[in-house]
Parts: sequence; C-alpha cells; structure tokens
Amino acid sequence: MAAVAQPHLPTQTHAEVTRDVVGTLGAPSKGYLLLLAGAITFFLIGVTTFVIELRVGLGIAGYNPPVMWLVYITNFVFWVGIGHAGTLISAILYLFRSPWRTVVYRATEAMTVFAVMTAGLFPIVHIGRQWFFYWLLPYPNQRFLWPNFKSPLIWDVFAIGTYLTVSTTFLVVGLVPDIAAVRDKVGGWRSKVYSMFAIGWKGTDNQWRHYSRAYLYLAALATPLVLSVHSVVSWDFAMSIVPGWHGTIFAPYFVAGAIYSGIGMVFTLLIPLRKALKLEHMITEYHFEQLAKLTLLTGSILFYAYAMEYFVAWYSGNTFEQTTFFRRAFGPQWWAGWSMIICNAFVSQLLWFRKIRRNVTALFIISIFINIGMWFERYVIIASSLSNDFLPYAWGQANPTWADWGILIGSFGWFGMWFLMFARTFPIVAIQEVKELIPYPRRKGGH
Amino acid sequence: MAEEVPNTIDRRKFLTVLGVTGGGAAMLSGCSTDRIQKLVPYLVQSEDQVPGLPTIYASTCTECAAGCGLHVRTREGRAIKLEGNPDHPVNKGKLCSLGQSALQSLYHPSRLKGPMARNPAGALAPVTWDVAIATLAEKAAQATGKVAVVSGSPRGTFSTLLSDWAAALGGRVVRYQPFDHEAVRAANLQVFGMDQLPTHDFSAARHIVSFGADFLESWLAPVENQRGFAEARDPSSGEAAKFVAFAPRLSLTAMNADEWHITRPGGEAAVALAMANVILGERSGAPADANGLRGVLAKYTVEMASQASGIGPEEIRRAAREFASASPSLAVAGGIGSQHRGAIELCAAVNLLNYIAGNVGKTVNFGADPDHGDGYGAMLQLVQAMEQGQVAVLLVHEANPGFSLPQSVGFLDHLKKVPFKVSTSLYLDETSSACDLIIPNHHALERWDDSRPRAGIHGMLQPVMEPVFRPGPDHAGTMATGDVLLKVSQKAGGPLARFTAPTFEDYLKASFATAHGGGDPAWRAALQKGGVFDPAPTAAPRLAAGAGQAGFTPPEFDGTGDFFFATFASVYHDGRGANRPWLLELPDPVTKITWHSWVEIHPETARAMNVKEGEILRLTSPAGSIEAPAYVHAGIHPNTVAVPLGLGHTEYGEWGSGRGVNPLNLLSARDGQGFLPYLGTKVAVAKTGNWIKVAKTEGNPRQLGRGIANAMPIGAVKQGLTLEQFERGEGHGEPEINPPREVEALKGFRDSQQQQTKHGEYAREHPQWGMTIDLARCTGCSACVVACYSENNIPWVGEDEVRRGREMSWMRIERYWEGGDNGQPLEGRVIPMLCQHCGNAPCETVCPVYAAYHTADGLNGQVYNRCVGTRYCSNNCPYKVRYFNWFAYGKKAFPQPLNFQLNPDVVVRARGVMEKCTFCIQRIRGAQNQARLQDRTLVDGEFTSACAQACPSDAIIFGNRADPGSRVSQSAEDKRGYHVLEELNTRPAITYLAKVLHRSEA
Amino acid sequence: MAKTVPGVLATFRHVDAAVDAIRSLRRQGSKDLTVYTAAPNHEIELALGHKVSPVRLFTLLGGITGCTAGLAMTFWMSLDWPLLVGGKPIATVPPYVVIMFELTVLCGSLMTVTGIVVLSALLRKKGAAYDPRYTDDRIGIFVPCRPEEFGTVESMLMKAGAEEVRHDAD
Repeated sequence: MAAVAQPHLPTQTHAEVTRDVVGTLGAPSKGYLLLLAGAITFFLIGVTTFVIELRVGLGIAGYNPPVMWLVYITNFVFWVGIGHAGTLISAILYLFRSPWRTVVYRATEAMTVFAVMTAGLFPIVHIGRQWFFYWLLPYPNQRFLWPNFKSPLIWDVFAIGTYLTVSTTFLVVGLVPDIAAVRDKVGGWRSKVYSMFAIGWKGTDNQWRHYSRAYLYLAALATPLVLSVHSVVSWDFAMSIVPGWHGTIFAPYFVAGAIYSGIGMVFTLLIPLRKALKLEHMITEYHFEQLAKLTLLTGSILFYAYAMEYFVAWYSGNTFEQTTFFRRAFGPQWWAGWSMIICNAFVSQLLWFRKIRRNVTALFIISIFINIGMWFERYVIIASSLSNDFLPYAWGQANPTWADWGILIGSFGWFGMWFLMFARTFPIVAIQEVKELIPYPRRKGGH
Repeated sequence: MAEEVPNTIDRRKFLTVLGVTGGGAAMLSGCSTDRIQKLVPYLVQSEDQVPGLPTIYASTCTECAAGCGLHVRTREGRAIKLEGNPDHPVNKGKLCSLGQSALQSLYHPSRLKGPMARNPAGALAPVTWDVAIATLAEKAAQATGKVAVVSGSPRGTFSTLLSDWAAALGGRVVRYQPFDHEAVRAANLQVFGMDQLPTHDFSAARHIVSFGADFLESWLAPVENQRGFAEARDPSSGEAAKFVAFAPRLSLTAMNADEWHITRPGGEAAVALAMANVILGERSGAPADANGLRGVLAKYTVEMASQASGIGPEEIRRAAREFASASPSLAVAGGIGSQHRGAIELCAAVNLLNYIAGNVGKTVNFGADPDHGDGYGAMLQLVQAMEQGQVAVLLVHEANPGFSLPQSVGFLDHLKKVPFKVSTSLYLDETSSACDLIIPNHHALERWDDSRPRAGIHGMLQPVMEPVFRPGPDHAGTMATGDVLLKVSQKAGGPLARFTAPTFEDYLKASFATAHGGGDPAWRAALQKGGVFDPAPTAAPRLAAGAGQAGFTPPEFDGTGDFFFATFASVYHDGRGANRPWLLELPDPVTKITWHSWVEIHPETARAMNVKEGEILRLTSPAGSIEAPAYVHAGIHPNTVAVPLGLGHTEYGEWGSGRGVNPLNLLSARDGQGFLPYLGTKVAVAKTGNWIKVAKTEGNPRQLGRGIANAMPIGAVKQGLTLEQFERGEGHGEPEINPPREVEALKGFRDSQQQQTKHGEYAREHPQWGMTIDLARCTGCSACVVACYSENNIPWVGEDEVRRGREMSWMRIERYWEGGDNGQPLEGRVIPMLCQHCGNAPCETVCPVYAAYHTADGLNGQVYNRCVGTRYCSNNCPYKVRYFNWFAYGKKAFPQPLNFQLNPDVVVRARGVMEKCTFCIQRIRGAQNQARLQDRTLVDGEFTSACAQACPSDAIIFGNRADPGSRVSQSAEDKRGYHVLEELNTRPAITYLAKVLHRSEA
Repeated sequence: MAKTVPGVLATFRHVDAAVDAIRSLRRQGSKDLTVYTAAPNHEIELALGHKVSPVRLFTLLGGITGCTAGLAMTFWMSLDWPLLVGGKPIATVPPYVVIMFELTVLCGSLMTVTGIVVLSALLRKKGAAYDPRYTDDRIGIFVPCRPEEFGTVESMLMKAGAEEVRHDAD
C-alpha cells in the first residue's frame, strides 16, 4: 500500500480489528468491577432519594416558589443534551461521509441511548404525582380525556419517546453484524448467547444490500430528529412567557449547547475507556482532534448565543428581560451565571490551539469543565430566570437540597451502570464499519 | 376522636357525627377519619338542617370591644365560616381578620375539654363538673367580702350577672380590656366633661388627621372605622378626603395616609395644639366658646411644635390650613400608637382641634358611649389588693392578664398570694395555668349571651352548634360560665340564693324581656336579626372648665436607652389570636412577616449600627430585655424601634406557646395616669451576632416601574383623565415598558387574535365572571385573605415553609414601597393579588393534561383530580398566583377538631397538585343552582366571593361582566381602571382601579 | 440451519480473486450465488450487479403513515372533547406539526428496520453453507449446484483464486 498519511483510515488488517475489538470483551478486570460497583451504589442513592420523595413529597427538594422547576429539569435537559453528540456523530457525520467517525460512533451512540434513558426518568421524578405520569400519554381511557397537544410538555413526550426509540434502533441495527463477528470469534456458551443477538446474521451480499441502504435512511431520519429533539426541549422554555425563556434564539442555541455538552461527555468517557480497553491505536489523537474541532464550533455558537441573549435583552428595552439578565449576571446567583459563561464560552476557545486539541489530558480536563458548565447553563436558565419574573413581590431564590443532589448522583450512577455493562458486553468499536474502511488484500497490488 | 361518636342518639348528635365525618371525608386520605368506624346517615330529617345547604345564625363577635354583628355559616351542624351581619350598624356585613379567625379558637385542638382542679400533688387534673361547682360554691361562700373578678366580657347581660354575683359576695368586678382608651376618656372628661368614648363618622369627614391613632387596627371599632374611611376616600364623586398621619411608626393606618409625618414620640400634642392655634388665629367660624382658648393656645406656635415633634413648621401650618379648609374634618388620637405619658394631653389637644374646627357633633359624636373596661388603673389596684392579701377568691373570666399586663406589674407573682384562683379560660394560658380551678367556658359561638357595644345597639349571641367538647367518656366537657355561676349560686345559697334562674338562657330571656318587652316574638326577631338596633342617643358637648388646662409638656419616658420603644397590634390583637394558624400565617400588613416577632429599625440607624435584616437584636429597658430579628425599613422614626404585640406566650397551647417575644416585658409597671404607656419606654439596642432568615412573604419591595400598583393624583381624577392618559402625560410607569404606539399595535393584534379564537362564542352564551378591586379603597388590612383561607380550606404551611416561599395564600396582599429614600416621602402601595382568570391564560396552554382550562363562564378552571403536578402553569403565570402542594399540607394543617371548620363544598387538595383562586366557584354554582330551582336568572349581588364579602372597605366587587348593568361592569368602566401587566395580552377578568393620591401642591 | 441445499462453498482471501470468481460464475449463468463479506464491499456489489434495495419503500410508507397518524390523532383528540385553553383555537396545525414530525420519524425508522428484517431475514435464501471466518477477514462464495456439477464449479473457483473449496456431500 502507498504509505500516504491517511490518519482517518485504520492501519490494521481485518483480522487484527476483529481480534482487538473482541479482545475488549474478555473477563472483566478488578478495576472495571470496582467502577461498576460504584455506579450501582450511586444509582441506589438516587433510588433511595426517589422513594423518600414518593412517600413524603416533592417538598424535600429545594423548590422555592416562584422557582417551580429546579435541579430535576436541569438534569433532564442536561442528559438529553448529552445524547445529541452521539446521534450527530453516528448519523449526521455518516451522511457527510466523514470516515473518522467510525471508530468512535459506537461508543457515542451507546452514550446517546443511555443518556436519553436517563433523561427519560426525570419528567417522572419531577412531577408532583409521579404515579400518574402516564396521563401525559394519549391512551384511551374511560374518562375520554386526551392530553393537550398544545402543551410543549406533550411535544416533549413525543420527541423524547421518538428519540429514544430511534437511537436505540440505530444502535441495535449497527450492532447486529458485529455481534455476528463476535459470535464467530468466541466459542462455547458465549457464542450461543451472541448468536441469539445476531439473529442469524451472516453478512451475505443480500443482507448487506438491504442493510447499508436501510442504514442510510435511518441516518437520514435521525439527522432532522436530533435537530428537532433539543429544539422541542428548548421550546419547553421558549414557548412560555417567562423573561429569560421567551426567546426565538432558544432552539439553535440549545441544539448547539446539546452537541457541545455531548462531545464533552464523549471525551470524558472515551479517554479513560480507550486506555482501559487498550484501544489507543484505534481511537487516536487524530479522532480526538476532529471531535475537538466540533467542540470549538459548537462552543463558539454558544458564545454567540450568550452574547445575543444579553444584547437582545438590552436592545429590546423590555424591563422584564433586562432585569432578568442583569440579575443573571449580578443577582444573588451570579456565581452560577458566570461559571456557565466561563466554562462554556471561554474554555471552549482554548481549542483554537492545535496543541491542546491533540493533547488528550488537556481535552479530558476541558471536558470536565464542559460538563459542569453545561449543567450550570441549564440551571441558570431555569433557576435564575424563574426567580425574578413579572411581579417583584413574588420573587424568590431557590437553593437545592440533599434531595436534588441525591437524584443527580443517582442519574450518573444509572447512566454509568448501563454504559459500563454495555462496554463489556458488546463491541465498543464498530467492527464492520471499521472494516469497511480497510480494503481487502489483493493478489496483484492496488489499482 | 372516638369520643365524638355519640353513645346515645339524638338529632344534634347525628349532625355532629355528620359534621365530623363530613369534615373527615374532606380530608382525603386518612387524616382524621381513622377512628370513625362508619358514616351515620340522617334517619329523621332535622327541621332546621338541609344537608348540603348552609344554615346561617346571627350572632355577635366578642373578639374585641367593638361588638360587630356576625353571620355564622353552619353546615350539617358545624360552624364553617364567620361573616359580617349586614343588618348590624357597627360592621354592616363586614368582618376583620381577627373576627373571622374566631373559628380557629372554637375548634382549637388545645381547648380544654373539661374542668380541672389542682390535685394534692399541686398539678391540674380533670374533675367532674359537680366537683368543680361544689368547690367553687364552697370557696365563694367562705370568701365573702374577699372575692374579686377580672372580666373581659363585653358590656351585656352576662357582665351584669357577673357584677351582681360578685356584689352579692361583697366582691367587685374589674372589667379589663387590654386596649382600653383610658386616655381618650380622660381627655373627654377634661375637655367636654364627659367620661365616655365618642363614636366617629369617618365617612362624613372630608379631611382626616390621625395623631398616632391606629384606627384601622386596634383603635375603637376598626371595621366601622375602615368602612367609613373607605367611603370618605372614594374618589368616584371627584372629591375624596385627604388623610394625614402624625406618628413615629408607619402602622397600617399611617401606611394609608397621603402624608405621613414622622413624628418624634411625645411631640404629637404640640402639633395638635399648634394646628388649633393656627386655625383659631386664621379662621373665623370656630364655636364662640372656643375663643376663650386663644390665650391657652397662643404659646403653641408652629415653631415650638416643630421643636417638639421634629416636623417642619411650614408643614404643620399647611396641615392646619388644610384641616380647617375642608369641613367637616376629623382628627383622631390615642390608642397604643400614641400611648405615652403625654397621651391625655394629646387627646385633649385633639379634642380642642376638633372642637375649633367644628367637627364635634358632625364627625365626632358623643352619647353612644362605646363599651370600655375599668382601665389599667383598676387592674393595678386589684394587683395591689392581691399583693396585700385582700383577695381570697379570684375569678378570671375571658381575660389573660398574666400575658397582657407587663411582667413588671407582677400579676402572676401576686396571683400566687391569692388562696383560690378560678379561670374560665378556654385554654391553658399564662393566667389559667396558674389557677387552682379551671371551669372552661363555652366558646362564644356555643353559648347564650348578648353584647351592648354602645348605647342603642343590643347584639345577641346564640349557640350556633353543639359544643365541640360535650361530656364524653374521658372528659366532662365545657360549660357556659353563666350556667356555672347560677349552679354555684343554687349550691351555695346564702347571699347567692337570689340567683334563681335555672339556666343562663332563662336569665338572658328575662333581662331581654325587661329591656325590650315584646315577649317571645321580639326575642325571636332579635335572634334572627342579630340584635335590637336603635339609633344612638346623641349629646352636644360644650367646652368644660378643664379645656383651659389643655397644654403640652414633653412627656417623660422610662429608661435611659437611645431609642424610643413602640409596640403595636399586628394581626394578633392583644395576643388572643397568637395561637390561631390563620393569623400566625397571615403576613403583617406592613412588614409582610409571619409566624415570629421582629424589631423594626430605620435604615439609617441600621446602617450606623451595621445591622442587616434578620440579625437578632437585644432590646433592653429597666424592666427587662427581649431578642428578636431586625426588619430594616424606612417606616419608622430613626430614633425609634418597634416590636409587634401578641406573640411571646409562654402558655397558650399548640402554635401559641413559646413563639416570638412579648414586648410588654420591656414596659415598666409605673401607672401612667391610669393607662398602660405602650409608647412610654426608651430602650437600648444591642447586636447579638445571631441571625435568622425572616419568614416574610415578600420578594422584592419595589415595583421597578412596572406599573403594578398604579396611582394617580386627585387632580388628574378631577380633570377626568384616564389612568393611561395621565401616565402618558407624566411619561413614566407603564408606557416605559410599552410606548403608546406599541400599546395601540397590541390592541389591534389582540382583537384580531380574539376573532380567531372560540373565546368570542363562549363569551356571548354565558356569564363572564369578573372582579374590580378599588385600590383607592383597599387599605391592605388582609381581612380578605383570612376569608379566603376559611372559605376555601386553604392549609397553612408553617414558619419554615413560608421561609421557602411556599405559603398557599390564594389571595395575597402585595405591598410595594415608593420613595422613602433620598428625601422622597415613603409611600406604601397595596394591591390584592389573586388569580386574574385571564381570557388568554398563559397557564392553560402549557398544561399537558388540560387540568387548567377555560370554562364557558370565563373562569380559569383548575381540575385538581386531573393535575399531575408539572408546575409549568405556575412558571407561565405572570401573576404567580398558583400554589403547589409540596407536601400533604392538608393533613398537617387541620388536626382534629380543627377540621370541623372545613367547608364541605371545597375539597382539601392532595399532595402534588396545583391549586389557586377559583373565584369561589362553589358559591357561583350554589347560587346558580338556587336560581335554577326557583326558575329565575341570577340577580346581580345576590352572592359574592368570600373576599368581596369580607372586605371592610368594600374595595372588591365581584359579578357578571357580561351583564352591562352589573355593579362590576359599571365599576370596571371607571377611568382609573387598568389591568396588571396588560401588555402581556392576558386579558385578566380583574380590573384594578388606581389608587388616588392627595399630595399637596406645596 | 434447517435443511442445507447442495452446493460449493469457496473461501477467498483476496477481494479481486473473489470478484473474478463472481464474474465468471455469472458468465456461466449460475444463479443466486451467496457472497459472504465482513463488511459491505462495492466491487463485489458491482460484480453481483444487484438492483437498489427496495427498503426505501418501507421507509416512505412508514413516514407517510406516521405523518397522517399524527395529524389525525391530534385533531381528533382535540375535537373529541373540545377544551378552550389560553384563548387559542381548539384544533390548529402549528403546535401539532411537532407531533406529526415526530411520528413521521418514528414510524419511518421503525418501518425501515422492519424492511431489513423482512427483506434480508425472511426472504433470504435458506440453507447456504457458511464459515465463521467470513465475519472476520475472509470472503466466501456459495454456489448452489447439483452434486454432479461440483467438480467443474470447484475447479473454476480454484482457477479464479479461491483459498479453499469444499462441498457438503449432503
């Protein structure tokens, strides 16, 4: 092969790819089990908190009217956002035919599914009568009552439901051929188990014919979906009249933020993961640099969005907006407002430097900032906007309590639990997609 | 409470059980119904009860000396709401927050369930009534000549019986009222030679001046005062009375003043005299005999008054001229707001002022002589007698001197010297817990009685229901003290033998017959009407010799601290309301603080001492010291600190005991010429370094130019300007947010949008319920808030939940400060805020399950059963009038038997649902059903919402906006009308009428 | 595998060899070959000369169904019990577009997956022989033919460059 530097193309042979990836599925190490145990503990903390909330009441959380939404909804938006990077990488970049996505896409797609699974819990945790959450679904009932489709919350139900289904489908479809590969590599009982999941995949020309076509359409459907989902989430806020929420910029602003936070999470997950699973030679600095460029782009969009929010608030001459944004920066919760701006708008700008983009450690640290910053962005948008709206007499500041933190911890546990179990059970790198990039050997050189 | 289930069955007990279980059923999941085994239905339909329909009994309020008439709304044998008696001349169908809260004292869980006596161990233990009566009879008989009685019950038949009874034993009765206006009476005696209280016709006054008289809170008849005040201030005629207040503290009354002159405590009298001097000097037309006063008044120049009071001489002169130019005018003084050692001089000076301005006989009327006690002096004498062992048996009735007298008087200490103490208290309070025998009286709503608050008014009290605590397996039940006295008399015989009436009811009937005759029909008529109301006799006073002695000497103050100490009646009156959750959670009308005491301190002072809100301050006087958190605001004289009265009970049952501090502990025992000098002390203020979060319901005290509580000067009203025109002219307020151009555009958009919606069709077919709230009448007294709580089963949430802003008050009085800094006068604006029932309600659209939706008759419906609690509606409500059940507040708020008060027409909301004002939909539907049964259409004003019904100043009008003739439609057309946050195009069903300012052009 | 069909299974290491084999096989007119690869491969697809997969029809159908379902559901449910909220029309398109869109995507993608299953699982040629290496790094070609043809086919595949050739003599 001509030794032209093509960083986006894997250097291994088909056999090596299979070997390496299947190698990640070996018996779990002590460290892994420790991590898993930790995740499960966190999850149980969350469960306990939720049970107490069910018995005692939502009041154990730090709500302080008029701040009727707080940490739970913050978490909801945060986790939905995380999901978006996955779909972007697996679907949108697929349509853009950018080959560097292949090695990371499986991990990110898995992240998407589990993040959305996590997010999906929050509307239930959040509502006052959790045992009636199903009333938000349009199911036939003897009261002949239907949900109010004019409410953004119902849009949410549909958007999140669709998003979870579609991204799960996308993940599973992608998995089938790889599971088949694993099936044929490992022996004994595991092979039997995998062959069940492989639903008789053999990689015949016919299967590939329909498969690759279908995959294309799935990607084509997922692309507008990923853009729509966070727009819909943003409309939970933008459709209301709350100063600080009621803005036309919200949809693009939220989508950018979502992808930004998602990629942040990708860094946070992949950097340790590739080390743990010895995949450094497959998931290389090159791939991280590509992701870093995306981060820089979305981060800068956020920067612009923040600036615009303040500008419009000032320029509109609307006292309500002006007060809200003044207090967002200099009010009682200024620290939240500034940590959002610093972590997102400013930190992302570091990625202009190639050195930092290619420095995995630096990226990891930055990714932590991104996660924190994006959580705070949602917290600020929700808590600080609600705390001072139209009637000054009714203003009030909310302070999260142990219950809020308990649920937050629990959500991380729940997410981590699924992700860790997935990484040990299924190929975390898409075997067949990588192989697609590696030409089969030829008798007589390339043509 | 299993003991509430009857062993033997009779009709009233059926009602009881139905009441219990009905109340219980309303409690949703197992709060109080646990021990009720099964529901017992009516077997025999009672003649005076229609299940599902209220029965209303007329009665009389005994919470303060004013003696307002009551309508007690009962359901299935339980009193569920107190309303004003429209036929009663004093309150004309209105009722204050204290009066309405009497229900919670009726159903208070800490009420005594039966008589108690000290056992050999010295502890109070339950006894039977026979024992109690026998003991009392024995002791009373032995103690002949050394019997004393302290009674707080109103002038009436029972008081007569009591004094006759005591007299028969050679004892005496001290009639004791905490706020007794001794100074006013003394001044009237001095100036007019009449030892009585006047009545005041605020409504006739065209200019009102108050010298520290808190006539909207604790001064004489607050409800009557407020009604008259509101009428005088109503600008619809184009004319409205200006109100000027001279006081050291911004009380609720002063907050309603157009000009509040921050007066140095003690200086008020000088101002009054100077005004009188100016008027006498500049105006003719003063009564002839007033000219004799020229000499007396000559030395009281405005400069001298300015010296004494700290108010500019020109302002005093202007005040005088305005006072004289509008006739009749009215000046009032006295009450705890100005009760320093110069109080009598002050009241005398104000009498002269009124006399010179020719108000006596017009706005200040004598002859009716409102009810009053024997005064603080009498109490001090009694305490002295107790100290000297001249009292062998002391009966304390409807009074708690152990709390309402300053500690330094030592009432409780000297009480120990009395061999046998008896109390009729309903609770274990400071006094009764120190007594040897407690014979708990029936609550005023459970017994026969009457009340003569003033000449010509004879109000009746009748039992409106079975006593809450009847004899039961483990307690003896309560008993009307009248009956106890009669039983004791029959037992003791001897001098008491002449009290032969078998029951107090008979005694009352007999005395009624002698007073009015007419036999049974008259009696029934009186009971139905609530009493016998004749025109009050009038007397035309002339100046007495004492008028010449009027003068001003700077009063002396006890203590050497740097700060004058003021105390005032917040919502708890003298402290009797301090164990009622409704009042405890009701924000103080001025500071908006709930559940605990506070120290009001001026910002400059606070800055000098580096004190922040919530910092615990220690106030020390020679008599003692108290600690309470600071509340910094400009509504107080820089050299004065103020603490509300009523909290700080050591013994007052649940919610009352150990809450807050009692400011009376700072007052010295010294007799201030026969009255308690509430304002007579100077205290030292020290920081403790401790800090708590003040439990107030207010977020931000400023409107930030958002045009929420709007006001326009009387001048603009006279010119016939609309509020909008006025504001455009002034170029501030709402247009700042929405320039007129946008307003017009908005209107166009709004109407075009309305065309597209179904709303128009809705509107044509059905009534459209609406409300107007006149801010020129509203004083912020918060009676409507308590009315809303009691009508709609609103749970109180407690101090800590209030700190987290979770109070459930569907109706809240927002209070915004204007000015108060850099030389601007401080103005308090109040605006009742409740669900606006918007035509385009933002809350409805966002509810995912249609729990919030718009009804055909223009209501913003809230379906509790459907609500899942996303709380989006509250986020999207610009008025923030939706309240969420974070916990199962309903279970905590109505412990047995407090839940008997619950309104069966309204559900107690479950945990996790949103609730809000419903415009009293249960009343709307009830009235509509009645009309349908009688096959007629609703008549405007045949029913109204609870808030509108209670409002003493009639500021709230509720009705059908679709009927152009209705009062609400008429008043909504007023030029002062506006909607809050109109620019949001929510189309509220509530129209506010802008407040009217009477600022002087000077 | 239920019943196996008789035929020759050749295994290739080199893609061009496999392509040659396919070409010559097709020239010989042998039908329904089964080619195993670890990943889709364009040369082989060309050599096989398949038509475009009809799976897109499933997607289209699903999309249309979802969209109409969204429209129908929202409007019917709004009008079934008309409730006025916020002074807005009872049933109106703008807010319902979101629902319609989401259902379009949902049904579209679900139908697409159904498409794969139906087309490649249910309609697949049964009983072709298989070798685990094909999901790793080898290319396999299965030529169904009568046992008497085994010899000729095998020799031809070997000529084309197969690593190994075998036939399951039932």
